[in-house]
Amino acid sequence: MATSFPADQPPEQSSSTQTQHPLLARLQEIRSSYAFKVVLQGILTAWAATTFTFFLVRLLPGDPVSIKMDQLMQQGYTAQEAANIAVTLFRYDPDVPVLQQYVQYMGNLLRGDLGQSISSAGTEVSQLILRFLPWTLVSVGSALLISFTLGIILGTAMAYWRGSTFDNVLTAIASALSGVPDYVYAIGIILIFGVQLQWFDVGEMRGGVTQGIEPGFTIAYIGSVIKHALLPVITYVLATIGVWILSMKSSTISTLGEDYINVAKARGLSERRILFSYVGRNAMLPLVTRLAISIGFVLSGSVIVERFFEYPGLGRALTIAVTTRDYTTMQGIFLVITIAVIASNILADLMLGWLDPRVSLEEKA
Amino acid sequence: MDWSALLRPGLFAGLIVGIVPLLWAGKYQRYPMAITLLVASALGGFMFGVLGGIITALLALSIIISHTYVNQQDPFATRATSLDDVSFDETQFQYFQRQMAGLGTWLRGTGHMLVRNKGGFIGFVGIVFFAVMTVFGPLFIEYEGRPQMDRREPGANTLYAAPSSEFPLGLDWQGRDILSHIVYGGRTLIITSMQAGLFSTIIAVALGSLAALGGQRIDGALNALANLFLTIPNFPLLLVLASIINFDSNLMLAVLLAALTWPGLMRSIRAQVLSLRERDYVEAAVALDLGLTHIIMREVFPNMISYIAINFIFAVRSAMYSLVGLVILGMVPLREPDWGIMIWNAQTRGAFYNPNSLWMALAPITAIALFQLSLILFTRSLEEMFNPRLRQGL
Repeated sequence: MATSFPADQPPEQSSSTQTQHPLLARLQEIRSSYAFKVVLQGILTAWAATTFTFFLVRLLPGDPVSIKMDQLMQQGYTAQEAANIAVTLFRYDPDVPVLQQYVQYMGNLLRGDLGQSISSAGTEVSQLILRFLPWTLVSVGSALLISFTLGIILGTAMAYWRGSTFDNVLTAIASALSGVPDYVYAIGIILIFGVQLQWFDVGEMRGGVTQGIEPGFTIAYIGSVIKHALLPVITYVLATIGVWILSMKSSTISTLGEDYINVAKARGLSERRILFSYVGRNAMLPLVTRLAISIGFVLSGSVIVERFFEYPGLGRALTIAVTTRDYTTMQGIFLVITIAVIASNILADLMLGWLDPRVSLEEKA
Repeated sequence: MDWSALLRPGLFAGLIVGIVPLLWAGKYQRYPMAITLLVASALGGFMFGVLGGIITALLALSIIISHTYVNQQDPFATRATSLDDVSFDETQFQYFQRQMAGLGTWLRGTGHMLVRNKGGFIGFVGIVFFAVMTVFGPLFIEYEGRPQMDRREPGANTLYAAPSSEFPLGLDWQGRDILSHIVYGGRTLIITSMQAGLFSTIIAVALGSLAALGGQRIDGALNALANLFLTIPNFPLLLVLASIINFDSNLMLAVLLAALTWPGLMRSIRAQVLSLRERDYVEAAVALDLGLTHIIMREVFPNMISYIAINFIFAVRSAMYSLVGLVILGMVPLREPDWGIMIWNAQTRGAFYNPNSLWMALAPITAIALFQLSLILFTRSLEEMFNPRLRQGL
């Protein structure tokens, strides 16, 4: 059919695919695919971010190696010893040209080697990160899931009964909730429910689990993990749910005005089927991309929130690394947070391409 | 109360320049308005300095002129019986009057818009409240920087106190009046956040327009840069920077915050410019050869100002979030008075264990929450003000 309409397909393209080796054609297809573009862009951003942090730490005033050397010399080491220790800690020698250091650093990074922690000598930064990362992932991840789900349900309901008291009250609450910074919730929860009303013991709720419980798949351990994650999760949910509710509501309202909804109604489909299969799925599309942005936002917010709850996650580790001037740990954690944001961006783009085929077709063209 | 603090040069400038709208309104026997506007110019001068006083007086004048001006070119306004009575020649002074009347009408319309949206009006009142508190509060309340040991209640082992009639917000761990810290502590925070928002808006508008109009190569490069900055998490980066640079200058901190927050607005400005370029009315203006200045100022800019104003407020919000966050984590040199430092103090003095110190931590977090809430509510009014389609019941 295509040959009868030569204007539809450029002739040179069709002839080249015919002469190409099937494997090459397959590669060509992958290269021009939406997913490839998204992933490539993500990798490029990750590379740029890594390079940025590398030069940031090295080119700014207050070179970490000399700071560490000063610290060591104050502890009674000679200049030569201090220099040696600092060089092994940072895995770089300030006398080596920056470009060479950069190549070395990137090589180490690809092997998963982030260097050793400065403040707790002998600990690999990658091990430190692996120890802290699960806590943040569990608390932030479950909070995002809860607020996303709740927000979508409430937002759809509000759009469906728009103009009702239920809608008006929830809209007011949601905009109020979204206007307040997350650490305000954290402090408020501790002060009002912990210190004043004594609903929980502030000291006991600190940390990731209660001290002395053996890690494992026991009810006591998992219960303790849930109990300690409760306060940070509530904080994250309160801080993020307002935006989900409001954007789902506006997205649903605009979807309700679409022609295909009228068509579905004219076909006599049941209300429930229209709401779930026609309205809900389409209205959720713009929110999927927002999910990625908010992962980055919540990861950043976790830095302050984890500090108040003394929650042993990445955010608190970053704060500690910054206060103790532990440059290698700092760099490593920052890198992991950035890469998490990039990865979630890739995921969101891929999901959007899968949920909404128009996007990937548009990108191709 | 110290009356000499009232004597600022801006106040006199406002009073003197405010005489012009006063006389103008007096000429048309609009006495209540004359007095109101004189007071407004004096207040403007007091709050924003000499230049602010002059600008407020000019705005006041434009409002009066918009009430009194009769457009000689308009046969309906002049009630002319024949076209011969309508004069199309106008003197420089009449031209000035016409322009001022236009400005005044716009200002009055804007005022109505502010009141129209309930949520937005609440936000506006909140912002005005904080502005008035930081500017005029110091006139009535003395700042207490030193420990007040003599306020210890007999038998008490701390200086903390719950709110009383003498100290409406209670006393902190050194027996100092918390209200005075709230009143004095917002100033630097608000000014630095506004500066950061302003810088970020300027960068975003400049780069966004450049990307949209500067050709494909510049567009690609700027877009890639914006994408990079968008993916780098702002607050962790600030923390890392805090360990390397010493944040002792507020202006530098504002510039740094601006450098991190511009990409979001830049992308929407770029999209907006790109789409505006294709709109029919812009093409019509180009076809009519109305000139680049006219096209930018009258056709493009009015359609972008809502984006810009709303994003300015978002930038201010996020700057304040980061500023307070940095202080709470102790990453910035602590300089009292500051709301963030009040939280830091409360935290380090054991507010999370001591029920007595509730007020010391509750006051600053309430102030921050209310200010941020006011900002976000106010954006609703702005949206309506600049986007006629959103106006309800008009």
